[in-house]
Amino acid sequence: MDELIKTFHIELNLLFAQVVNFSIVLFVLYRFAYRPILKTLNSRTEKIEKGMRDAGEAGKKLEEITEKEKEVLSNAKKEACEIIKNAEEQARINAENIALETKKQNEKLILATKKQIEQEKNKMLTEVKGEIVNLVILATEKIIDEKLDRNKDMELIEKAIK
Amino acid sequence: MTEQNSVIIDSNTINSQATNKSDSGSETTLFAEPLGHIGSFVITNSLVSSWIVVAILVIFLVAAGKKVKNIPRGLQNIFELFLEKALEMADSVTGSRKKSEKFLPISLALFLFILFNNWLGLLPGMGTIGFNEMNGGQKVFIPLFRGGTADINTTLALALFAVVASHMMGIVMIGLWNYFNKFVNIKLLLEIPTKIKKDFTVVLVNPIKVFVGLVEIISELAKVASLTFRLFGNIFAGEVLLFSMMALFAYLLPLPFMFLELIVGIIQALIFSILALVYMTIATAEHEH
Repeated sequence: MDELIKTFHIELNLLFAQVVNFSIVLFVLYRFAYRPILKTLNSRTEKIEKGMRDAGEAGKKLEEITEKEKEVLSNAKKEACEIIKNAEEQARINAENIALETKKQNEKLILATKKQIEQEKNKMLTEVKGEIVNLVILATEKIIDEKLDRNKDMELIEKAIK
Repeated sequence: MTEQNSVIIDSNTINSQATNKSDSGSETTLFAEPLGHIGSFVITNSLVSSWIVVAILVIFLVAAGKKVKNIPRGLQNIFELFLEKALEMADSVTGSRKKSEKFLPISLALFLFILFNNWLGLLPGMGTIGFNEMNGGQKVFIPLFRGGTADINTTLALALFAVVASHMMGIVMIGLWNYFNKFVNIKLLLEIPTKIKKDFTVVLVNPIKVFVGLVEIISELAKVASLTFRLFGNIFAGEVLLFSMMALFAYLLPLPFMFLELIVGIIQALIFSILALVYMTIATAEHEH
């Protein structure tokens, strides 16, 4: 060991001096170059990763929204169709109802009119009948010129008319 | 022994043949030459180089970390790319980003410090600019600068730092008791009576495991030695090689070896830092059962 130290001139002072030299280099490297650069590198990596993630999420969200939009639109279309269909149906029913009502009313009206006509006719007939009786009485009075018993007369006439 | 202590390569490069030793022949010695003293503190040429490297790195790193913005511009892109790649590489060793982020500063600092030291030693003027000193009636050339990692004090300091850091990480991340049991495995010994009913082989297997743990202590020392001598050996050998080539023929001939040494410099820095990372990873691994 002594031989070794003597041969290579190993000196504790020099060893220590070199350790100090290297320590200075290590300290400066770590403190002024390594740490700041590594920090920025890592922070940038983080930032990029976050950006990528955000972009992916945004894309997914956009897709979702598009899908939803489509769904909403189709729903709206369906609803609109239904509403129109319902309205049409309603309208049809309404029209039918109206037509039915009208028909009924017409029938009623016709019936009433017929009844009235009948009544009128009957009234006219009775009136005519009375007139005819009187006329016949007058005529027969004039022809026969002699008055039969009034009651007998009436009986006769009525028999004749019948 | 003293003659063998210094590998003397004649590198009186520019104006003399290798065989003609001049009065002030510069030598590549196995150790860093002292330039002066402050009190009892010896300042060697390697230490001066290391100081220059520290100064360069401090300026460079402070500049790199200044004005770091979330939206990168210009140079920041390069630093970020560098750090990103380093983290990826560390991930392949440690297996988890959390550990990588914790260990990388040490590994990265080792890499930069060693790389700059290696390359600084290759610059022209390193090892050739200096002064002559009378030493025992003989003129000895003392270069003003010497590659920081071509001095065993530097590599030993770095290796010790790396290994001690790995132990620290181990203690911090898996707890002192668990970490202690990696080497002196009392847990396994205590387990024997409780497990013996279920599995008789425990009596045989656990003592072996305990012994393996004790061997680990030696391997920790080996780690320091291997880190130290690998780096020192490579860089010193490179300097010797370059000096030899320059002594043979100063023009063009050293050029390919210069490129080789550039590559060796970066490879050795990489090996050292990766090994430090591996040691830290091993130290923080939970003991498998």
